[in-house]
Amino acid sequence: MRILSDIAAIMTGMWITWKHMFRRPVTVQYPEEKRQPYPRYRARIVLTRDPDGGERCVACQLCSAACPVDCITMQSAEGDNGRRFAEWFRINFSRCIFCGLCAEACPTLAIQMTPDFEICKRDVMDLIYEKEELLIDGCGKSPDYNFYRHAGIGVTQPRGTGVEEMPPVDVRGLMP
Amino acid sequence: MIYDPIDIALILTKIALVFFVILTLAAYLVFAERKVLAWIQDRKGPNRVGPFGLLQPLADLIKLLTKEDFRPIGADKWLFYLAPAMAAVPAIMIFAVIPFGAPLVLFGHTVQLQVSDLNVGLLLFMALSSIAVYGVALGGWASNSKYALLGSIRGLAQLISYELSMGLSLVPVVMLARSFRLSDIVDAQSGCWFIVYQPLAFMIFLISIAAECKRIPFDLPEAEGELVAGFHTEYSGMRFGLFFVGEYINIVVLGGLAATFFLGGWHGPFLPPVVWFAGKVLAFAFLFIWMRGTLPRLRYDQLMHFGWKILTPLALLNILATGWWLVLRG
Amino acid sequence: MPKLIIDDIAVEVADGSTVLEAAQSVDIPIPHFCWHPALGKAGACRVCAVKMLEGPVKGIQMSCMLPAQEGMVVSTTDPEAVAMRRNVIEWLMINHPHDCPVCDEGGECQLQDFTIAGGHGIRRYTGKKRTHVNQYIGPDIEHEMNRCIQCYRCVRFYQEYAGGCDFGVMGSAGRVYYGRFQDGRLESPFSGNLVDICPTGVFTDKRARFRARYWDYDMAPSICPHCSLGCNITPVARYRELLKIVARRNDPVNGWFICDRGRFANDEVNERQRPRSPEVDGRETTYDEALEALLLRVGEAEELYGPGSMAIVGSSRLALEAAALLPQLAQSSAAGALCYFTLQAEGDRTLAAYELLSAGKSASLNDVRESDCIVILDCDPLQDAPMMALALRQAWRSGAGVYLVGGGIELPCEFTRVATLDAVPLAEAKRSVIIYGTKGYNGVTTVASWLTGIAPNFTKGGLPGNLKLACLFPGPNSFAAALLSREHGAVSLEEALADGGIKGIIAVEADIPEQLLEGVRFVAVLDWRKTATVQAAQIVIPTTAWVEMDGTYINNEGRSQRFKKVMNPGVPVKGEGPPLHPPHIHRSVAPGGEARPAWQVVAGIIEGLGGERITEPLSGQWEYLRELDAESRGVMINDL
Ligand code: SF4
Ligand code: SF4
Ligand code: SF4
Ligand code: SF4
Repeated sequence: MRILSDIAAIMTGMWITWKHMFRRPVTVQYPEEKRQPYPRYRARIVLTRDPDGGERCVACQLCSAACPVDCITMQSAEGDNGRRFAEWFRINFSRCIFCGLCAEACPTLAIQMTPDFEICKRDVMDLIYEKEELLIDGCGKSPDYNFYRHAGIGVTQPRGTGVEEMPPVDVRGLMP
Repeated sequence: MIYDPIDIALILTKIALVFFVILTLAAYLVFAERKVLAWIQDRKGPNRVGPFGLLQPLADLIKLLTKEDFRPIGADKWLFYLAPAMAAVPAIMIFAVIPFGAPLVLFGHTVQLQVSDLNVGLLLFMALSSIAVYGVALGGWASNSKYALLGSIRGLAQLISYELSMGLSLVPVVMLARSFRLSDIVDAQSGCWFIVYQPLAFMIFLISIAAECKRIPFDLPEAEGELVAGFHTEYSGMRFGLFFVGEYINIVVLGGLAATFFLGGWHGPFLPPVVWFAGKVLAFAFLFIWMRGTLPRLRYDQLMHFGWKILTPLALLNILATGWWLVLRG
Repeated sequence: MPKLIIDDIAVEVADGSTVLEAAQSVDIPIPHFCWHPALGKAGACRVCAVKMLEGPVKGIQMSCMLPAQEGMVVSTTDPEAVAMRRNVIEWLMINHPHDCPVCDEGGECQLQDFTIAGGHGIRRYTGKKRTHVNQYIGPDIEHEMNRCIQCYRCVRFYQEYAGGCDFGVMGSAGRVYYGRFQDGRLESPFSGNLVDICPTGVFTDKRARFRARYWDYDMAPSICPHCSLGCNITPVARYRELLKIVARRNDPVNGWFICDRGRFANDEVNERQRPRSPEVDGRETTYDEALEALLLRVGEAEELYGPGSMAIVGSSRLALEAAALLPQLAQSSAAGALCYFTLQAEGDRTLAAYELLSAGKSASLNDVRESDCIVILDCDPLQDAPMMALALRQAWRSGAGVYLVGGGIELPCEFTRVATLDAVPLAEAKRSVIIYGTKGYNGVTTVASWLTGIAPNFTKGGLPGNLKLACLFPGPNSFAAALLSREHGAVSLEEALADGGIKGIIAVEADIPEQLLEGVRFVAVLDWRKTATVQAAQIVIPTTAWVEMDGTYINNEGRSQRFKKVMNPGVPVKGEGPPLHPPHIHRSVAPGGEARPAWQVVAGIIEGLGGERITEPLSGQWEYLRELDAESRGVMINDL
């Protein structure tokens, strides 16, 4: 009979919740108790440096294009020896959803996610991080990549001496 | 009638006591509800304010009192202000007729542990519980908000669906006790609780009071998943607090009534009567919380269907059966 | 009209079209680098491979090289063709550097698009890449030779199309190099088109170097305001800064290209010091106060000097919206004069030149490109309207005779000098064009009298059928200024001031020489450029530059073209606020963003003077221009 099975169903439910009342809670008592997030946890974003200490970010705007909530803005500029870098670079953490798409899009491995999730501020404007606050002194998770050693435009080494480059051709040479 | 000053003092003391106990109980029921729900969900629940979070109700009170008292544009000012009181006051008034312990003898006076031993106590309860729904209806109407209005419409529709079966489920109780007076009903159960004679009426009454307190699975007027917060969507601060606390007073009061009608009121072996009564009330409160942690919300039409097509006929049949049985027994 | 089938779609195309064009006409894209609609085919990149299933030729073919023929059945999706395209792109990419992130072409790069579209996603080649040393090719264009894929578009444009001879291709085999013989500025006045035409990032605009990406650009269809031809452009802005200007296709007008004068013209708009906020007597105020002060002084002028003491001055660069409101402004301010030109000679010549065109025979740039006999009379196309010079070079390339009456100028093609118009063999030509100017010469009168000689009633449509006229006016909207002058009997400011009755001037985007302002007591200026007139004025109300508003220009042939708002007015973010980043403040109006389109300011003055409220500047005879589509080819005034 349906009514009996209905009552049985209700009773089963009540029994399950009854049992759960005596389970150990899974709650962690933050902030006294803290969980150590995994290294690939996606929280506060940083801009890293290449192994030679230069800023990795070339302000290519791929991260800002990838960002689904449009919280990254920047202005690129040309530095000495033609290095492209971010004149200013800001991430609005009050909008960021920590999806990690920016880090995935970054061709220079500059923008990386860190496990530091504790970024509360009293004033929402303080959640707009500028480049000074984002840039760290280190390579982050990829210790040995330097984009400019592979890009063909010189900057960190004379043209034609990069990792995958032949010396510049002599246009006026007559050799075949 | 001329009253003895000691009588008057006793009555006032009883009123003050009832107020204090009921309000504290309601506040701690909120806390208990949060705790029990947390346990059910493998959480810890409030545990920050005071030892084990015991001062949480106080913190909540302070928070509610200091919150902005907000009134939506276009709301009907006076009705909007009145509605929360309309919801809370009738609930607490019902307690006036509930006997919560065996009569005491103090200063040569026999003190009924009951604020007022009215001879139509049961009818008073029916009347006041119907008035309480005005709080819901007017609050939703006066808010000038779609969600609130929908919530209050549901509240009214729900009322007419369960009030009838609730009333009918009490008729056999009256038939058995041969009185509308609650103390008589309790006395009639000194031997055997009515739940033994009337399990069906008890179930119908239980379901009906769950609907009366707007508890899951019958919390359609609030239905936060669908209507934000139903009839009290637009309320804030202590006005919201009144609605909220009214609901828990309702639980206490209706728990007390269920105990009175079916579980022998304050009767029980070994322990003092007041403790028996309190234990029964708390058991009902726990049952409600447990239900909330387990059951999903019914649909609007399901509740009406259930009230009209199942509970009401069942209650009527039950009355017939009781009458037949009484006649047979003589 | 051959009929062919491409990917199961039947297509009919004009004789002489290629299979590639046939496919494009039904929206089937075929990757291509070397082929360009304006340059034609070269067969250099081998990317546009398709498979011919039926017809005169079979197998894999280059669709850009193959003329469409009757009965062809073409597949662009055949596995063999797809593999061919993918492999060719992979070869092209072998030497291509790994630098999209630092390449300004990234995001608007044909190579990126076609590499992905062609199915070559991951580089397999791990060997070394050939590199080049870049050249300095001038302050406008950046050269990054490593990115070249040898499509030859640049040389084909520079040498063949534009007639430049200081840029070419050198070297052999894998070392082919596109550049100058030595460092130095590119000489061609059309060199900027290399930026547009190169499918990769070899040539990029230095003004927009490392500034923004395509997906962040503020862009809108616009019209170049730097000469009277009205070439179609797309200005590109970001953070309130005009970054660069690229050519926009409009076949009857500029075709695919624009000249360097129009392209490298950001500075005026980005100038921080241009009028940005209203000023009264050198003091910054709000727009409303400035308007009030202006109304007050107009009233004072009337009290002191009587009615008719004000002059309203427009100009050749004022957009049609504001220009069309000036007669109303003159009326409501009881002005003594309405002027669209400052100098008498300029006004007279422009009006006369406009009269000649009202015969309805004005030549578009495309008419020039397609004509077979071109006469240049008292004007210097390379100076006055460079794209005219490029157009006549195209005519010369397809065999037209180019005749220069008089001399003293350069042209980007061979030409014959003749003494007078009569010496030109116009009678033998099928489609001839006479190009004349209005700048300080007597070309207009010469043409007029010559025309009267051959066709006495030419102004009433009696011009010989094969002859068209093209006039080079002084400004982008001279045609409209002349038209309105004629209609409303406007005089030049010089004439108006001659009798000394004018004591006050409201100049709307007009450049008034200082000597003319000597006897004038009160000057109010509505302008966005920091002109000498702005400096001399007591009241300055900033207006928006053309990229900051919607508007209409009527070009030298009488074609009305709409330009759209590209960006909001305001001081560019670059260099604003704290040195590293813009400030963290919210504001509803950007700094320096108070400027309004000139017509709105004019409408405000009219309303302040007790006139009606104007919400729609184009009314009456101009109403039909309201819905003018900026992406259309424009509407001819004379046709209506
Ligand atoms: S962080 Fe990476 S993706 Fe973003 S601009 Fe810098 S280099 Fe480009
Ligand atoms: S994590 Fe996601 S939301 Fe946050 S900046 Fe990166 S792309 Fe944007
Ligand atoms: S030319 Fe195109 S493909 Fe090459 S680096 Fe620049 S953006 Fe990338
Ligand atoms: S420089 Fe550009 S246009 Fe010229 S051949 Fe190379 S890729 Fe083609």
